[in-house]
Amino acid sequence: MDYQKLFEPEVTGEAIKAWRGQGKKALGFICCHVPVEILHALEIMPVRLRATGCAESPDGDAWMSTFSCSYARGMLQYWLSGKYALDGIVTSDGCMMSARCFDNAKHVDEKNNIGKFFFQIGAPRKTGSLELRYYINELKDLIEKLEELSGNKLTDEKLKASIAKYNEARELMRQVLELRKAENPVISGEDALAIALKSCDYTVEEFIALLKAFLADAKNRVPITDKRARLMIVGSALDNPGYLKVIEDKGGLFVADALCYGSRPFNHVMDVDEKDVLGSVAKYYLTRIVCPRMMDNREELQKWVTETAKEYRVDGVVYEKMQYCECWGGESMFLEPMLKDAGIPILTVEREEHLANAGQLAIRAEAFIEMIEKED
Amino acid sequence: MAKDTRLEDAVMSGELSVFDFCCEKVEGQMERMKEKNPDLLWTLQIQYDMWHQVRDAHANGKKLVFFGGPVPVDIIVAFDCVPVYLDTVPIRLSPNPVLTGKFIDAAEKYVPPTTCGLCKTYLGTLVEDQYGVEADAFVYSSVPCDSSRVVYPNMARMMNVPSFGFDQPFRRDERGLEYLVDQTEQFVAFMEEFTGHKLDWDVMKETMKNANRTYELQGKCADLRKHKPCPLPGRMLVMNGTSNAMSCYPEMGNLLEKELETGEMMIELGISPCPDGEKHRVALLQNMLWSFSGAMDWMEREYGAITVMDAFGYQHGEIYEHMDDRHDCFRTIARKMENSPMIHGAAGPTENYIYLVDKIFTEYEPDVSIFLGHIGCKHTWASAKIITDMIQDKYGIPSLYLDVDGIDGRYKTHDEITGALGQYFDTVVNK
Repeated sequence: MDYQKLFEPEVTGEAIKAWRGQGKKALGFICCHVPVEILHALEIMPVRLRATGCAESPDGDAWMSTFSCSYARGMLQYWLSGKYALDGIVTSDGCMMSARCFDNAKHVDEKNNIGKFFFQIGAPRKTGSLELRYYINELKDLIEKLEELSGNKLTDEKLKASIAKYNEARELMRQVLELRKAENPVISGEDALAIALKSCDYTVEEFIALLKAFLADAKNRVPITDKRARLMIVGSALDNPGYLKVIEDKGGLFVADALCYGSRPFNHVMDVDEKDVLGSVAKYYLTRIVCPRMMDNREELQKWVTETAKEYRVDGVVYEKMQYCECWGGESMFLEPMLKDAGIPILTVEREEHLANAGQLAIRAEAFIEMIEKED
Repeated sequence: MAKDTRLEDAVMSGELSVFDFCCEKVEGQMERMKEKNPDLLWTLQIQYDMWHQVRDAHANGKKLVFFGGPVPVDIIVAFDCVPVYLDTVPIRLSPNPVLTGKFIDAAEKYVPPTTCGLCKTYLGTLVEDQYGVEADAFVYSSVPCDSSRVVYPNMARMMNVPSFGFDQPFRRDERGLEYLVDQTEQFVAFMEEFTGHKLDWDVMKETMKNANRTYELQGKCADLRKHKPCPLPGRMLVMNGTSNAMSCYPEMGNLLEKELETGEMMIELGISPCPDGEKHRVALLQNMLWSFSGAMDWMEREYGAITVMDAFGYQHGEIYEHMDDRHDCFRTIARKMENSPMIHGAAGPTENYIYLVDKIFTEYEPDVSIFLGHIGCKHTWASAKIITDMIQDKYGIPSLYLDVDGIDGRYKTHDEITGALGQYFDTVVNK
């Protein structure tokens, strides 16, 4: 099987079209607290919205203003321009920017009497038992609405089957990420991010097939030997592999990441309690560490980043902050000293959704790599 | 005569703490007012009481509970602790851009410049170790915004004192209400452990009675603003912010009683705060412009335009009804948290914000709509078109968008702000 399309990061809509062509529903979702297993079990294709390749966002700017994060504006632009041919959007309240992307998309839909499906669930920002109970009830509401939309009924058996499918994808992605631990990995950071992005708008079954094909061929790939520093990238939502390419072209090699479009959603498989399948789903999504939107596990996130940097033997961390992304913007307050204590240098860069400052980024990356590269 | 800036200079050099500054500043203002305008001393009394009770809390044997976002202040007070509302610090400092700038610059070493100026100022004050008092506990909420979600937990870690975080549900519904009630019970347990005392319900009832008085009076003052001409100046809306920290103290009720008396007297005399009479009624669609509240005086003076209400949103607060019913009281507390200014309109789905602004236009009948958009408040900017489209469609009123920093006066000069407002009045409102 040709797995080359794994490395094509653009939003194509090809898989969505095929899915909907079968008379089934496909929904966009925003952020990491919408359990895709629930949608899948109800035969709804979950499509994680993104703004990859969005160079300008006039409609997004008009609705959200340029005081908003360009990633959220880009997603709104894609939605309003019809780039995504979907039946609606499901979201959780991730950050306020993504919440407003949803609000504006819904508003325009209602204003123009389009009639698509819009639903939002609350995702707590703490991980205790009270919060878990609240989240489970929110998921029950979601299930009810999705059952109406799809005409299907959710059962524990269907949900378990979907969990198994997504766990398979997570396990295969773990194998892909493991390849990056090698002295001379066979996969670049740019490629690894492109692969992860493919999970956004392909069905999980197609994604699994592509991953299997890639892994079967991985041993035949040429190891990357011309790089001068092993890097990790952390920070705001980054759905543009081209951004990593700019840095890798200057001699860096990303071997690890803490990105919500990258490895973060794949780092754990979901454990299932047979007696409480929905509870297992809720617990997984509430407690997995994805981004600093949470209030009570931030130290855990920072420790995870530091430990991962050590595990993947990185020489430096690139910390990218999207303008107007306060969540990741302020995370450095404790993360930076933690990384510095571990002897890991950091390059902090500010960015926008579109790659407007590639030249400046390249210069800063080159200087950073020169600073941290190890002499053989 | 050159302005006496000794206090400001002492804060800048780090010799004077922020709370000492606030106390000394209000003492000086009161001295001057006693001479020039003793009838208006009541407008400063609440500030005097608030700053001094914070500064002197430890000397008075009381514990200081710093808090950010909507939290049950009534419970903190019922435990005989002194609540310290973080927002009051930047709001008090904001008229002086140099002072505010010192703390904002200190914070920007750790958080992005785009973070809200309120958050940056109270974080920066902690970074500079210039509160002058140590918090004994820190209580915060997951709202109002992404800035505070980052800054509050970071401050809790920096302070390294017992802390409690409320998770505010995004939507306002029955489930969310009970979720907050459950968290309030957890909070009582936290306070009992922190203070070593059980919650005394009789004391709690006293705080609730005081809070009821405050919010009943605040509602009446808000209602006065519906009158034509509006009897109370726009500037007085700024004082409403104090109620977040002081609603359950009798002093807050005393202030509002005076405000109400003044407003009623103005109506009786048919007087408007606008020197040449009221010509326009302004709705501000976002926060207060704390760094330049004189902009409201200026609009009154130059254009006869009085600010009748703002979407910061102090209108009718929640009232406790069944004070012997703990669950019912905690439901009221939960509603207070959900409906707190900046939360009810801006921090949840945009529908809440539309509801609030629509209510302002229906009840206060403004004919001028101004979105003085605090740049730190990105999520309201991201709703602004929905809001202003609604105003245009439903009320036929175009809105002025003007980006400002409600706290950091360095962002735009007063002249730039009044220049833009003036152009709007000349070219659109009075066309």
